[in-house]
Amino acid sequence: MPPLSLPIHGQPAPHRGPEQRWRSLAEAAGSADPAAGSYPDGDEAAPDSFGRRSFMQLLGASAALAGLSACKPPREKVVSYVRRPAGVTPSLPGFYASALSRGGHAVGVLVETHEGRPTKIEGNPGQAASLGAAGLHELASILDLYDPSRLAGVRRDGRPLAWSAFLQEAAGLAAAHEKDGGARLRLLAEPTSSPALADQRARLLARFPRARVHAWDPLAEDAARVGARLAFGRPLEAAYQLEGADVILSLDADFLASEGDHLRNARAFASRRTQAGMNRLYQAEAGYSVTGGAADHRLRMRAGEVLPFARAVAAALAAHHGLPALAALGAAAAGELGRTAAAVAKDLYSARGRGLVLVGRRQPAALHALAAVVNAALGNTGVTVVWREPALLDPLAGVAGLSALARELAAGQVDTLIVTAWNPAYTAPADLGLAALLGKVPNLVYLASREDETSQVAGTVVAAAHPLESWGDLRGRDGTASIVQPLLAPLAESVTELDLLSAFTGQGHLGAWRLVRDGWKARTGEAGFDQAWDGWLAAGVVAGTARPPVAVAVDAAAVAAALAAAPVPPAGLEACFAPDDKALDGRFADNAWLQELPHPVSKLTWDNAAFLSPATARRLGLADGDVVALSLRGRTVDAPVLIQPGHADESVTLPLGYGRTQAGPAGAGIGFAAGALRHAAAPWIDGGLELRKTGRRHALARTQEHFSMEGRAIALGYDVGALPHAAHELDEHRGEQATILPAVDYSKEEYRWGMAIDLSRCTGCGACTLACQAENNIPIVGKEQVLKSREMHWLRVDRYYEGTPADPTSVSQPLACVHCESAPCEYVCPVNATVHSDEGLNEMVYNRCVGTRYCSNNCAYKVRRFNYLDYRGTMAPVSKMLQNPDVTVRARGVMEKCSYCVQRIERVRIGARSQGEKVGGDAVVSACQQACSAEAIVFGNLNDPASRVARLQQDERRYDLLHELGTRPRTAYLVRLRNPNPELA
Amino acid sequence: MSGRPAAAALADPLEPVPVLVGRPDDRALTASLTGPVFGPTRKGWLILISVLLVGMGFWILSLVTTLVVGIGAWGNNIPVAWAFDITNFVWWIGIGHAGTLISAILLLFQQKWRTSINRFAEAMTLFAVAMAGLYPIIHLGRPWLFWWLMPYPSTNQIWPNFKSALPWDVFAISTYATVSFLFWFLGLIPDLATLRDTAPTRTKRLVYGLFAFGWRGSARHWHHYRIGYLLLAGLGTPLVVSVHTIVSFDFAISQLPGWHTTIFPPYFVAGAIFSGFAMVVSLMIPARKLMGLEQVITMKHLDNMVKVILATGLMVTYGYVMEHFMAWYSGSDAEAFAFLNRWTGPYAPIWYMQLCCNVLAPQVFWFPSMRRNLVVMFVVSVLVNVGMWAERFVIIAVSLHRDFIPASWGMYSPTWVDWGLLFGSMCTFGVLFMLFLRFVPAVPIAELKELRRELEHHDAQAGHAASTGHGGHGAEARP
Amino acid sequence: MTARQYVVAEFAAEEPLLAAARALRGQGHAELDLHSPVPLHGADEALGLKRSIVPRIALVLGVTGAATGYLMQVGMAAIDWPLNVGGRPPHSAPAFIPVTFELGILFAALGIFLGLFKLWGMPRLHHPVFEVEAFRSASVDGLWLSAAVEAGQVRAVAAQLQALGARQVEIVEDAP
Repeated sequence: MPPLSLPIHGQPAPHRGPEQRWRSLAEAAGSADPAAGSYPDGDEAAPDSFGRRSFMQLLGASAALAGLSACKPPREKVVSYVRRPAGVTPSLPGFYASALSRGGHAVGVLVETHEGRPTKIEGNPGQAASLGAAGLHELASILDLYDPSRLAGVRRDGRPLAWSAFLQEAAGLAAAHEKDGGARLRLLAEPTSSPALADQRARLLARFPRARVHAWDPLAEDAARVGARLAFGRPLEAAYQLEGADVILSLDADFLASEGDHLRNARAFASRRTQAGMNRLYQAEAGYSVTGGAADHRLRMRAGEVLPFARAVAAALAAHHGLPALAALGAAAAGELGRTAAAVAKDLYSARGRGLVLVGRRQPAALHALAAVVNAALGNTGVTVVWREPALLDPLAGVAGLSALARELAAGQVDTLIVTAWNPAYTAPADLGLAALLGKVPNLVYLASREDETSQVAGTVVAAAHPLESWGDLRGRDGTASIVQPLLAPLAESVTELDLLSAFTGQGHLGAWRLVRDGWKARTGEAGFDQAWDGWLAAGVVAGTARPPVAVAVDAAAVAAALAAAPVPPAGLEACFAPDDKALDGRFADNAWLQELPHPVSKLTWDNAAFLSPATARRLGLADGDVVALSLRGRTVDAPVLIQPGHADESVTLPLGYGRTQAGPAGAGIGFAAGALRHAAAPWIDGGLELRKTGRRHALARTQEHFSMEGRAIALGYDVGALPHAAHELDEHRGEQATILPAVDYSKEEYRWGMAIDLSRCTGCGACTLACQAENNIPIVGKEQVLKSREMHWLRVDRYYEGTPADPTSVSQPLACVHCESAPCEYVCPVNATVHSDEGLNEMVYNRCVGTRYCSNNCAYKVRRFNYLDYRGTMAPVSKMLQNPDVTVRARGVMEKCSYCVQRIERVRIGARSQGEKVGGDAVVSACQQACSAEAIVFGNLNDPASRVARLQQDERRYDLLHELGTRPRTAYLVRLRNPNPELA
Repeated sequence: MSGRPAAAALADPLEPVPVLVGRPDDRALTASLTGPVFGPTRKGWLILISVLLVGMGFWILSLVTTLVVGIGAWGNNIPVAWAFDITNFVWWIGIGHAGTLISAILLLFQQKWRTSINRFAEAMTLFAVAMAGLYPIIHLGRPWLFWWLMPYPSTNQIWPNFKSALPWDVFAISTYATVSFLFWFLGLIPDLATLRDTAPTRTKRLVYGLFAFGWRGSARHWHHYRIGYLLLAGLGTPLVVSVHTIVSFDFAISQLPGWHTTIFPPYFVAGAIFSGFAMVVSLMIPARKLMGLEQVITMKHLDNMVKVILATGLMVTYGYVMEHFMAWYSGSDAEAFAFLNRWTGPYAPIWYMQLCCNVLAPQVFWFPSMRRNLVVMFVVSVLVNVGMWAERFVIIAVSLHRDFIPASWGMYSPTWVDWGLLFGSMCTFGVLFMLFLRFVPAVPIAELKELRRELEHHDAQAGHAASTGHGGHGAEARP
Repeated sequence: MTARQYVVAEFAAEEPLLAAARALRGQGHAELDLHSPVPLHGADEALGLKRSIVPRIALVLGVTGAATGYLMQVGMAAIDWPLNVGGRPPHSAPAFIPVTFELGILFAALGIFLGLFKLWGMPRLHHPVFEVEAFRSASVDGLWLSAAVEAGQVRAVAAQLQALGARQVEIVEDAP
């Protein structure tokens, strides 16, 4: 029966498991004994006992992979995170600091390892871009590490090639290019901030002066940099200080989710969403973004109307608030838009020096420049926004560079092209026809972690190591450097970008560790370097490498000129391309966790869709799931439509990153390729989109079907002004209730675990759901099962719309088991498989459960999940290494649900006991709480009056979900606050 | 004809139609009632059972799939964690109530018309309970551990949770199955002796003799037999009420809107009798034709049974009304919505079907002419069973699919395995029933002989009172 | 003891049958029995049978079953391992009623059924009276009387039954 065949991540693909590939490769390498060949120069450079020991353990773990005879520990020393909990104790996890790249910038992470086996990625509190939180992609990238469909070794013309052999060939190739100074040698790379890569590129260009490096990132922030150059004469990088912003005007900037530094920004933004000194956010956008959901005023407009709107605001500021500097830039707008602009301008002016205007990467450079000028004029610059030299080596990585390369390729001016950028054949704007051009390059060397569209046309494919297997370094947006240290030796033979480049600079023998370390030694000097190095590895950041803010002076005239020349809003149906919240530009399409994670707004899984407004859908006679033919500039793609309440009319949002033809089992053939409609001339916002109904339907698997609260008191929200008068109303949703049964008294217990969730802080991004999935070994069930609403996430984030479908506000509500003290699930279980602990945990006893499912029927919150099928049976051996050994893997026919991370409670308890101490009120941090950048979730001991959770549950905003049922939930909610502008209300 | 009214009045004012046509003597009765057992296999019987066996195969296939693949083979999900499985369970167990009810309660009230149909109904009960009992086991996520619901000293020393209604179910259903069987078998013993003594072949004589356990019709046997049988009936009556009450607790003890209702016990019991009598009628009408039992299972029986269907149908309707009243009166959004959702939600068609079958259809039995029309009675009784299945589906699945938190709402759609377990179980039930008709006298011979004696006693009195009328009445009674 | 023999006699109607039973009993024959397809009115008096003890069996076992049920639940839920189940008290009497009731019924019913078999001396697949081929009518329409008597008296009893109007009389050896 088809519905039962699960596309579960990690279904072993026999022809490309790393094991076989690796073995055959070792043989191909011609070394009589693979093991011997695998330790070229042994372990003479002996690392210190700990590092070595941990990696010997790791070697043991890796041996679980059949035939991984050549898997070797790195010979270099790594140092564990300094505040690790007893890192070397077996059965206790060790934590190592490293950094992952997002848009070339560092996001600091701590990696949890069990006996040398990474099991979870968490944020690094000491790193500015993370502050201890982790985003969807950081959390999910651990899954890629254990993906059985990863490439291994080197492949030339379809045949495996030993790394050593490749080095020789590369040397030969390099020698050939040296003759003409590398005139016919090109490197297509991703923008990066890595000092080590900078050195390596410098060496490359030193050896091949006429070679050229092109940077390409389909999600590049060129407009921002060009805008800055317009305004200041330099392509500077903006850093926002949202904690200081009272009034925020966001022009199509999804700064809480998909824009840069979103973790840091969300933390700062959320810190101002409580009754004490609440900020106000105006969000002007077309599609419904996470940030839009958090806005006080979501100004619904086509992406092309954002610029005119901004100019109207500038005009109003100039006209009514005496900012002549803006007069030349503004352009008054009539009607509703004008009135709104006037109100926003007034608000911004009244909050001058405490306001902020920020612009999204999709908007034209002129708008970025305008925003910079407005911020300067309002005195926000230096307060809520500071400017720095960009950390990226290639501030500009947009279409321009790629087009140049395409022209060279077309003219046959390139013999050797080294591609380290991710999958350009797929991400390049369609009109460049890059896929075909790449196929014609005589020597195309492609560094990739998986088969993809580009690996199909590349003559030589080199397997890329996962960041957790790599040495390297990165800078945060503020310039602070982090060392990327590996957590384990590559599970299958693979190299880093550094290794690959060094093969052409004649340093192939050195290895990334040496390159990185030597680079830093050169930068900081010999003296005390070793200690410093250890310190950097331990802390995850290189202290004192932050770049100072620079003073800026705006050139209003240049901006005015740019605005005059700015593109007019394109006519006809508008096409808005957007990075998908989950797949980004497609590099995460193979990640089954992200595929199954409900989209933060639409709750769509295992798909993308063309989002349009109810009115537009009505005009075109479309319903959810109708497949339409999208035509733009002569190219056509079939896509299912999804009606998004609050979407701007006559505009269609097209998420990138899907419709992959060549990908792993999780990503191939899912969704539609919006990128195939993208044109170099207008990569983000385009006009004249045509939409034709095909009559076909496509099943969209959404985890939430009903987005109205039906007038029930579920996710409560108040205007901040009304809160003082809401107490009486809120009292109906909290406090003791009359009951026949005397409630169990937990006040005498040492610990009374509880949680508080602040709806006012929550942005609905879904990181908590992923963190929970990673922590608790939650299985992936696949699209068919999601369609049967059998998803297994213990923690779901519900989203509700309020107001008209055309322009609703929304509130999202994280909901996991609320651990009722009078739990309805417990008394109906016939076998006592779910009972209460002394500390008030609602415990699920897996091995006692027979699966009557009555507990779920009687759960008013429907937070229990049932293993309808054996969701674990198809797991590849390598994927099993991901499992958290502290959490039971559940069998078929067993109920499961949120445990309040009981394994974390016990870990802390044991630690405290061994010290003879009591567990602190805030000492236990649940996985969801840890990941949350907005600090919306707080867990702790309610019997400790000093604990944060205890204080939050006393907050005037506290209420209990479904309080009237008398379930006495341990998880309390804090009402959502809004701060609307009276003039717009 | 002049004397007839008086005669009728004397004969039995309330029973113008006889419960036994004619006054055949014991030997004749024995011959006609053992006929289906000892007679040649009939063609109709063969065809019917082979059709049913095919359906039974489908049932077995569905069962195996469920056990091998897991209940993920069904359409169940979260929020609808119970659907066809428990719907079928409650439907079957409800049907299984008529048998004991007819036998026990009618016996206690000494209803003459009980006699010809009680074994029939009891057999139906046994087979229905057998079908019902299966679902609570296979609907488990780990059915091989069903015995964890029994109180036994397990190694991990956990006992069942007696605050849950499910262990109550275990005890109620198993008790009900046991007592129903004992009651049925006790009534069967004298007839097994009759079969033993009239068996045409030695083998049959041995087999039936074995099951007769050596019954000799001795006065000392009859002496205890009658009181014992009466006592079992006395126990069976509260039992049958308690069983469906407890089944209704499966839902009533929860807090789910649409389940959490105090009217459930009486409402479920009425529903059980309703569907049970309907099933008896829809089985009896073809069976009495097939087995040539028209003279012992008369129009009188059918007339009485459809009257019961009409009465219980009205009680069930009252249940529907009260549910809605309570939903409104409770003042709870979720409660009110749960019932509004039945009228306007995505499953509304099933709700309307339920109303047509359970509320409207039985009303035709207000008309005596309809109560004499076999086709109408058959069709309506089948409709009632369809309606009662729909009622259970509406209560279980439709209440579940939209409860307190709108974001958790979902839809349910059955798979072929779900359908297989429903229709397959009907066929399996049919097979068992066909076997019963073939190998056991469907009408209790001994009791019928007793009944004849009572009736003759009546006739005699009537004869004394008005000799003419006797003949008249007799003539009236013999079509 | 001396070998006993069975005298079985068929009667055409109930009255002579019962009369014969009374007569033989009057002469002190204790092991009398009547056989009929249906219970006979007056048979109990004719044979002087005492009130059946089946109701008492049912009562005793019913009470035992109910007590067992309740105590079992209290022992398991409240004494052996009291658990915090949804904040409900371990010993919650109302919740224990259904099982208590069902077990009461179950015990009583089993008591009645097994009690009957014990009182009947069943199962007993062979009995001397079955030796008489004609006796098979006892479960169809025949009315029979059987008397176990000393070997010496057989002839006398048989003759007497004949005199009392038996349609036919047979004598069966009882296997000692």
